[in-house]
Amino acid sequence: MSGGFERLLDSVVRIDVREMNFEDGARRIDASIGSGVILSQDGLILTNAHVAGPKAVEINVTLSNLERVGARLIGWDHWTDLALLRINLDDVKRRGLTFKHADFGDSDKLYVGETVFAVGTPHGLTRTVTRGIISNNNRYFEDTEGVDGYETGNFNTWLQTDAAINPGNSGGPLVTDDGKVVGITSRAYLGANNLGFAIPSVTAKRIVAGLVRDGTITRSYVGIVPKALQDLEGFYDVATNTGVLVDSVEAGSPAAEAGLKAGDILLSVDGKKLDGRFPEELPPIQNMIATEPVGSSLAVTYKRSAREETVSLVTTRLESRMGEEWVSDTWGVGVRKVSRAYARENQLTGDTGVLVIGVQRGFPAEVAGLARGDIITRINDSPVASLDVMRTIDAAYAAKPTPTLLEVQRERRVSLVVLKP
Amino acid sequence: MKRNTLLLAALSLVAGARAADLPAMWAERVKCTVAVEYVTQTELERRPTIAYGTVVDSDGTIILPSAAIDLRISPKQLRDFKVYLPGDPEGTPAEYLGRDAFTGWHFVRAGAAVRERLVPVTRFAGPGGPAEVGLADDVWGIGIRNKDEDFTPYILKSHVALLQLLPQRTAISQQEVAGPGLPVFDSAGRFVGIGSSSFGQTFLEFSSSDRGGSPVMLVNIEESSAFLVASEVLPYVGRIPKNPFGRPLAWLGAYGLEPMDREVASFLKLQSQSGAVVSEVLEGSPAEKAGLKAHDIVLGVDGKALPRFKPDRVVVDYIERLIAARLPGDTMTLTVLRGTASLDLKAELAEEPRLVREANRVYFERIGFTAREFVYGDAIARHSKTGDLTGVVAHLVKPNSPADIAGLRPDDWIKEIDGAEVKDIDSALVTLAAIESDLLRKETVFLVRRGSDTAVLRIKLR
Repeated sequence: MSGGFERLLDSVVRIDVREMNFEDGARRIDASIGSGVILSQDGLILTNAHVAGPKAVEINVTLSNLERVGARLIGWDHWTDLALLRINLDDVKRRGLTFKHADFGDSDKLYVGETVFAVGTPHGLTRTVTRGIISNNNRYFEDTEGVDGYETGNFNTWLQTDAAINPGNSGGPLVTDDGKVVGITSRAYLGANNLGFAIPSVTAKRIVAGLVRDGTITRSYVGIVPKALQDLEGFYDVATNTGVLVDSVEAGSPAAEAGLKAGDILLSVDGKKLDGRFPEELPPIQNMIATEPVGSSLAVTYKRSAREETVSLVTTRLESRMGEEWVSDTWGVGVRKVSRAYARENQLTGDTGVLVIGVQRGFPAEVAGLARGDIITRINDSPVASLDVMRTIDAAYAAKPTPTLLEVQRERRVSLVVLKP
Repeated sequence: MKRNTLLLAALSLVAGARAADLPAMWAERVKCTVAVEYVTQTELERRPTIAYGTVVDSDGTIILPSAAIDLRISPKQLRDFKVYLPGDPEGTPAEYLGRDAFTGWHFVRAGAAVRERLVPVTRFAGPGGPAEVGLADDVWGIGIRNKDEDFTPYILKSHVALLQLLPQRTAISQQEVAGPGLPVFDSAGRFVGIGSSSFGQTFLEFSSSDRGGSPVMLVNIEESSAFLVASEVLPYVGRIPKNPFGRPLAWLGAYGLEPMDREVASFLKLQSQSGAVVSEVLEGSPAEKAGLKAHDIVLGVDGKALPRFKPDRVVVDYIERLIAARLPGDTMTLTVLRGTASLDLKAELAEEPRLVREANRVYFERIGFTAREFVYGDAIARHSKTGDLTGVVAHLVKPNSPADIAGLRPDDWIKEIDGAEVKDIDSALVTLAAIESDLLRKETVFLVRRGSDTAVLRIKLR
């Protein structure tokens, strides 16, 4: 075993997360276990966004010497399923603890068949090493609700490995035999054998840098859903390996305002030629646009029928379909703000309102007939434009309970309900 | 004193009827009932269905309950109607006349060959208008067994346990009293109502092989313990539709009426008033022209306050029946609450826009889907402008067909075929027929809208 590999083993941690969930209409703490890898001597730990996110209220890491120490979230990025933590260094110093850190390798240099190791905490079994090979180094996979309801996979492809990946491995490193981190193991097919996936280190390095700098990853949005052009080149009369097909243009997006339509072929962005013949080629194209600064003006050349045209579109900030969550303890209802993306997806007239994600039995919301999936659009005379509107009214109710009228949208039906003490 | 006498008279009548032979009365009234068989013929299958009905006139007209035929099915797909007399395995061809929107009944007419063997139920209506039933009255009705038992009729007996407005006056008896759609009589043999659908009782079935196992809960759909009373039936048996679609259909265009519950009424200081919230006002509808707005609360119709029902949601059916009872061109004045103001809005009802079940449709075997005309209701369902009724709907996608493999899904809205906009069903049918008949053609490309997204689908034909 190489010295590098031993050092790597000393940098892998178990992560115990307690997070707050509102889905029962009450504050409920859920506990889960994941893995992570220490990246620096100042205690940065890389893990998955689905292991530790903004809902975490307590994070503990177990070092390789089995000592446990607290950590906090620096930032997360569900699109790439990555999160960055910082160990409580004061505690480390006070207790005289030590740890080692790992270094990134270059995932672009991996070849299919190369031996790799996954290190982590499957099912809570601390410091488990499994071995396999790179099964595919450019796997396309995206999921609109893949990270606890958040979108993932649109901006990167994945490494596929047959090293055993089980629940709890998430966030642990995928390494080469010299102990270099080439990926962060993230997910596996359930019910399949040895089909595991990891975020490549080229992506991880970029995200880590962004999270250290800003605590968040900001991306540009244009509102184009791309599709691979394979087998359609003849129909659209374009040369092979030229352009990417616009499958859908999101209503109200910069692309829609610039007049782009489904069925257009994007040929270039700011003079850079596009090649979206295969699905695997779509995430890099999306990433190229996403990494432009928000508010950039992009010159997009597209082909429609026989005509080629160039339009300029100004990017806006990419938002998730998941809004902020909150729970009213007095009414016993957990809610999530309706986001613009959610409103668009569900063809709502606007993003006013909060989505009910849970009700607690016997509390005023449940008694009045509210149920998961309802959208509260108005409380008394106030449209629910933000969670603050609800918080304010809820606080007044908690101080002095009086009957409160809610306007609720259920599918497309509007009903009125009264919450009573 | 007078009241006592009446009561005594009623009692003696009942006693008299008891003396009369119930089996004999039953045997005569069984002639008012039939089993109706029809076939739903879709692109991929023929599915037979059996329902039970009651004869309402001497022309062999039969009424079936609303649930006897799925409303989503086009009348053009309903084939091979047959009428069977109870106990007789020989069927006689019959004609489907359509559904009446107000009563919800489907009307069927038996072929001439069996008409003289049928007896209209109106013959047992009794003198002096429809017979009334009261609490605890003994009632009996007719049930019919399945086809494999030659539709053998049988008798059911119970007594009235509860009378409710749902919104029609409905008697609920202690046990099942008739098959859905079959008549109920009192002890004197007078017609007192028709068995309702979906009022069968639930029962538990224990497995004979797995003795310790959990029972299965089942609903008796062949018999009903509720019936619409005679006064909700007899005045309307003449509402025979003029066509299979039941046109004309009166239309208001207030979408998604939701009942206002008691808590909300009292919050709005409306006390015991009943009402319904309007979720949306449809584009171009009479409701829109009358000035109705989404979120208005309807409190009254034609100057009369809406009655309170138990449960609250019955008020929605009540309003819908007030509309269905009218004709296009009739007016309807709605009293609505908007904020704190009460308004009277006068709407002139219009003819309901073309419905999905009326829409033109053609199946394309080689591509593997049915193209259906895009109608007003499709635009509403897709949050789209109703002025733009272009494109066609994929009504059915044949499993494993080229269309299915390419990812076409039922209800996809096909906007473009091979890069050309689909103007309407007629032009789409011409285009699709040309594609279908060109055996050398390799592919066709559809642009479809699905929810808020679109998708380009390449359908590989060879």
